[in-house]
Amino acid sequence: MNPINESNLLTNRRYFFARGASGIGIAALASLLNPKLFAAAPSLAEANGPGYAPGQPGATHFPAKAKRVIYLCQSGAPSQIDTFDYKPSLEKLNGTELPDSIRGGQRLTGMTSRQSSFPAAKSFLPFRQHGDSGQWISDMLPWHGKIADQICIIRSMYTEAINHDPAITFFQTGHQQPGRPSLGAWLSYGLGSESESLPAFVVMLDKNTDPQAQPLYARLWGSAFLPSNHQGVKLRSSGDPVLYLNDPTGAEPKDRRQLLDGIARLNQLRREAVGDPEIATRIAAYEMAYRMQTSVPDLTDVSDEPQHTFDLYGPDAKIPGTHAANCLLARRLAQRGVRFIQIYHRGWDHHSGLPTRHPKLAKEVDQGSAALVMDLKQRGMLDDTLVVWGGEFGRTVYRQGGNATNYGRDHHPRCFSIWLAGGGIKGGINYGQTDDWCYNIVDRDRYGVHIHDLNATILHLLGLDHRRLSYRFQGLDYRLTGVEDHQPVHDIIA
Amino acid sequence: MVFGIRFTLILLILGSVSPGDEPLRFNRDVRPILSEKCYACHGPDEKTRAADLRLDIEQEAKASAIVEGSAAESELVDRISSTDPELRMPPPDSGKQLTASEIEILRRWIAEGAAYKGHWSFLPPQRPDPPEVTDENWIRNSIDRFVLARLDAEQLKPSPEADRYALIRRLSLDLTGLPPTIDEINDFVSDKSDDAYEKVVDRLLRSNRYGEHMARYWMDAARYADTNGYQYDLEREQWVWRDWVIHALNTNMPFDQFTLEQLAGDLLPNASDSQRLATGFHRNHPITIEGGVIDEEYRTEYVVDRVVTTSTVWMGLTMTCGRCHDHKYDPISQREFYRFFAFFNNISERGLNGFNPKAKIPSPYLKQQLRLLDVELAEAKAAFASAIQDSGLSLEQLEQQLSDGADHWQTLVPSKMKSAGGATLEVQPDQSVLASGPNPATETYELLLSTDAGRVNALRLEALTDPSTVNGGTGRGSNGNFVLSEFEVQFAASEDPDNFRDVEIANAEADYSQEKYHVTLAIDGKADRTGWAVDGNTKIENRSAMFVFREPVGHASGTILRVRMIFKYGGSHHIARFRMAVHESSTPPVSVSIAAIVQKPRGKRSPAEKSRLRDWLLQGFGTDDVKKAASRLQEIERERAGVVDGFPATMVMAELPNPRKTHVLLRGEYDKPREEVQPGTPAALPPMPDELPPNRLGLARWLVMPDHPLTARVTVNRFWQQLFGSGIVKTTEDFGAQGDWPSHPELLDWLAVEFVQSQWNVKALIKTIVMSATYRQSSRLRPELVAVDPDNRLLARGPRLRLDAEVIRDSALHVSGLLNSEVGGPSVFPYHPTGLWQEINNRPGYSRTYKQDSGEKLYRRSLYTFWKRTVPPPSMAAFDAPEREFCLVRRSRTNTPLQAFVMLHDPQFVEAARHLAGRILSAGGAATQQRIVYGFQSCVGRKPTQQELEVLSAELTRRLQQYRNDGQAAAKLLSVGESPVDESIEQAELAAWTSLGRMIMNLSEFVTKP
Repeated sequence: MNPINESNLLTNRRYFFARGASGIGIAALASLLNPKLFAAAPSLAEANGPGYAPGQPGATHFPAKAKRVIYLCQSGAPSQIDTFDYKPSLEKLNGTELPDSIRGGQRLTGMTSRQSSFPAAKSFLPFRQHGDSGQWISDMLPWHGKIADQICIIRSMYTEAINHDPAITFFQTGHQQPGRPSLGAWLSYGLGSESESLPAFVVMLDKNTDPQAQPLYARLWGSAFLPSNHQGVKLRSSGDPVLYLNDPTGAEPKDRRQLLDGIARLNQLRREAVGDPEIATRIAAYEMAYRMQTSVPDLTDVSDEPQHTFDLYGPDAKIPGTHAANCLLARRLAQRGVRFIQIYHRGWDHHSGLPTRHPKLAKEVDQGSAALVMDLKQRGMLDDTLVVWGGEFGRTVYRQGGNATNYGRDHHPRCFSIWLAGGGIKGGINYGQTDDWCYNIVDRDRYGVHIHDLNATILHLLGLDHRRLSYRFQGLDYRLTGVEDHQPVHDIIA
Repeated sequence: MVFGIRFTLILLILGSVSPGDEPLRFNRDVRPILSEKCYACHGPDEKTRAADLRLDIEQEAKASAIVEGSAAESELVDRISSTDPELRMPPPDSGKQLTASEIEILRRWIAEGAAYKGHWSFLPPQRPDPPEVTDENWIRNSIDRFVLARLDAEQLKPSPEADRYALIRRLSLDLTGLPPTIDEINDFVSDKSDDAYEKVVDRLLRSNRYGEHMARYWMDAARYADTNGYQYDLEREQWVWRDWVIHALNTNMPFDQFTLEQLAGDLLPNASDSQRLATGFHRNHPITIEGGVIDEEYRTEYVVDRVVTTSTVWMGLTMTCGRCHDHKYDPISQREFYRFFAFFNNISERGLNGFNPKAKIPSPYLKQQLRLLDVELAEAKAAFASAIQDSGLSLEQLEQQLSDGADHWQTLVPSKMKSAGGATLEVQPDQSVLASGPNPATETYELLLSTDAGRVNALRLEALTDPSTVNGGTGRGSNGNFVLSEFEVQFAASEDPDNFRDVEIANAEADYSQEKYHVTLAIDGKADRTGWAVDGNTKIENRSAMFVFREPVGHASGTILRVRMIFKYGGSHHIARFRMAVHESSTPPVSVSIAAIVQKPRGKRSPAEKSRLRDWLLQGFGTDDVKKAASRLQEIERERAGVVDGFPATMVMAELPNPRKTHVLLRGEYDKPREEVQPGTPAALPPMPDELPPNRLGLARWLVMPDHPLTARVTVNRFWQQLFGSGIVKTTEDFGAQGDWPSHPELLDWLAVEFVQSQWNVKALIKTIVMSATYRQSSRLRPELVAVDPDNRLLARGPRLRLDAEVIRDSALHVSGLLNSEVGGPSVFPYHPTGLWQEINNRPGYSRTYKQDSGEKLYRRSLYTFWKRTVPPPSMAAFDAPEREFCLVRRSRTNTPLQAFVMLHDPQFVEAARHLAGRILSAGGAATQQRIVYGFQSCVGRKPTQQELEVLSAELTRRLQQYRNDGQAAAKLLSVGESPVDESIEQAELAAWTSLGRMIMNLSEFVTKP
């Protein structure tokens, strides 16, 4: 639609409402422009302390370093040994049996608990140093070499769950069983939205190519007991980009506009008759829906990107549903004020054939993930955009099945690697160490980073105290990071 | 900010500060402060208790921190008012703080004697006397006294009664989940009798739709779904349990019985099938099939889920806290949690793939259906017997005739042959035809067969092995197989050889069909990739198929048959060599399977074989009357068999013969068992009488003891929430120390006692509430109320709420006349955006594609929509429907743009608007204005105002003009949805009214209870 007409219509609408019969009133007009429909402020437990107004942009517990998060979730769990945890010690140990002293009665999954031998396997590709920082990164991820100085690799992540469903649920909601809000929902609730035409929390699913990939579930971006307007809104690469966004009747924008005007007019008359302020909210919801019908196609139409964007993200960026295409969309969402952008890439769960299947997955994500960081940096957006990359647990150093060249790796919750970049994170560093066998974290009490610690860190960077961001449900003040004592990892914060 | 102001005001009204000199009440004013700010360190949890001080127990508190009647001497007061951060309580680093008014309340409370009282909801409700009020005229029943007394105290007036249009809409939506029809509205509005309102209430409570609507709330609480949840989330069939619930609610099963049967129906003496079926309640939780998990870990989760669900639904207690440690606020120790856990720990179930025990018990609605069918069956049998008698036939005689009709096959060589793919078709010495030469991916053979026969009633196709194929078999495919996609026949008279007419093939039978490639797929009317195949890659044998015509065809002068064999599978799956034969007889050819039955001695035939032979004989040889009676009998037998086979086994509860031991689990972890415990209930609640068995049945009986302090209160509160949007206790799920103080405590107790005394009569309770003046008030937000009580906690007006997801969709189906009113049965698959299931899970074998239904199933009530936990129905999820992964007794209610998208663009709603338009035009009168009023009122219950009418008619005029100018736009709008478009109406007009229908359905009022 012609933008001038559009603007005229909008102006007319405002005018119309402002002077109509008894007028829609200042408050309702304000709510017409209310950007927070997707994150309207609920009543927050008083525990958050004075001066904290949830859902109000800018109202945080303390000054925020990051304004938004892009979370690249590697579902299925990539192997730390073959990506970011450089282990020269394994050169010698390769093929030797994992000692019981190292395993220490570790719980195994039902998949390898009956295996009789546990030979260690070193990374199947060499590592090399990159950037000024000299970060060690596997040759499987060449593009990551280019962002070595921006990322902070945590090699001492650990989790409590050993199977996918509980582990990824824990990773995303802070609890192994269903029933808790996801990280994005917490942020939407805590920080509100900055966009007038897009949701605060957007989820994208990369198209899966691995036939044995683990599924995802709506709870991973769900709101659980938080009001459901905080749940993630899926941005899809096929069909309607947002569910039901497109009008199946093929109505022209002008006709849609007229329909909405009529609806608004009638709603307004009703509001005057019954005095229900909720009707104004509903009018505003329809207005935002109308804006989204323009803003979403505008967002997903990347034809306005210059060639160098595609040079950076690679040819995949033009194929909807690829990791590169979604990373590019993530940057566009970030530019438009979306608070939390979650991308899921599935298929890392390689219990067999890992040396051939891992590189395929790596190739799918490497350039897109790295390009996103470079792109944000070039635009000066990396300073206040936090990027997180990682899976729900690690993989075992010992081989699962197979032989010396073709084998799998089982689930390993005791140590794994993720990286963070931007948003107040120190770049070009690594944090925490694993033992020679890449099996346990060295001095876990001091350097171990629990899932809750990671989430506390993310919240901290956004200006939120994880102990105070809570919601009263069933008589308890629930929080993302659980009841036990967990801390942000201050050592990695710039 | 608006929110902040409201919040403060409401606190002034409902909060703890008592006006004037009214003495403080411990439960209302003091306990919430102690619980929230102090109990975490000085409460029930032994492990976190500091300074050995408990403030939740009177004696202990008064032994040290509190001196009765003397604030000055009480250390508690000292500490909470201290300015020294070392001394101050709560400690600054706890994140908790007392406000000045809270400090003042604690001080005053101690000064007034520091009276403790047991937590209100743990004390049995006493029936309070309904209070005196200022305006006796307003009172309709006792509910109103409690409400008005409170309003009197706040110096507020109740609202006037809502008008009748609003009342009947509110009632219909509340009691049946559907809006009233215009006839129902008119009847009520014009009914001048005194009990007009009550008659509507009674009518709605009698409707089957009442049970469906009420069941929907219960399904949230029972975390009912049609999939298993967790990782792969594949389908389960638990809907028979759901039907049990609808039936129990419709028949007004008393709530105590409803409880007993669902928690322990299997343990009741002489448990009936229906009572065992009811126990499906506690098998509705998610069950994992993730390969790597440890069985006991997940079995433990299921038992915990039952504890959490039971305590939430029946007691409003958050027992979940007790899993890992003593409850921090309520008197539930970790040990007590596991004693409660023990009740549910004795099921013969597994953690991984834990779908057993199951029982195949028919749905109560299927039973009704079966009863009806049995009556029809008996009638059909009698009719059949008398038809045979009248005809003078006997089955034995008929069987004798079989041998006469045994071989009427005549092999024919085609007179003409054509291969669409360019293959050479050549007749072989054995009268077969061999294909050779070009062999493209797909193929069609067309043959002409000429015969003198005048009455052909079947064709036989033999597929013959041939050495020219890759494996010496029957097919030209690269693996030696073939797929006959479609077999089509036409006929003409020899004397009129160009006038071909279609032959209807009634049945096909083959001596062998490959699994999923049955020969009937070759006559399904679809020339597609499905069809008749014979495992020709592995089984090298001649095959034969027979195609029986509905009626014999032909002409006395001779008959020409044109046969098309279509092969669309691809990969050259064509028949290599074939032979054709026709069957001329007045009786059908003897099929392979019938011949096999006849060969058996009579005594050795199974009942199914007997009935098949009987049917076949009568179809072929019977008189017309016998044939008719036989086919009627067959039809009913088939239908009945379909019903009986169709219902699945439902997961139910069953006790292990040898009880499983239960231990306290350290930090709630399955592999850290500690002290062994026996089943038991928390000590803070009334004890379980000795005569009750220490099992689920005892627990259920304990829950419904008349003096149980929680069950009745929690239950009536949930019904109240259903009707008013908020419970009397707002935290429906938490009646513990952290729960909200009831807005009308005496009313809650009065309702609870009434409920128990009525023998837990749910319909009577609902009726009492909706008969009250309180419920009947207008819901208009009077300006003075907007400021002081926006959430309507004081009930100075009627409830005005956005409807739940299911009610919104059902409303659209109902007002458009699309609603399918069938009750019960398997869940259905209405419209759904493509690809949603596959995009989160596309693992072969472990994933499913959403297979949308068509026809009537698109229009079932929403409670029958297939519920997948990891992808809940998207149009309902947009309106706050939960995933159903866990028990939920209170949904959130939000407004988002996504809801606007659903209402505007979900084909379900666009299609409903089209049908609404059709209704308006057929039933809404002749004049345009009359029609607009009809459409508007159908959707929102009232008539439009003049102003509204103007907006609506302007829209109509504009659309009419638009669609008359743009037929394509009209066609596009009307094409949405699967139902056929009514072409008897001018399409532009239908489109314009559809557009108007969409507008009305998108009004705030359409999704609102007035």
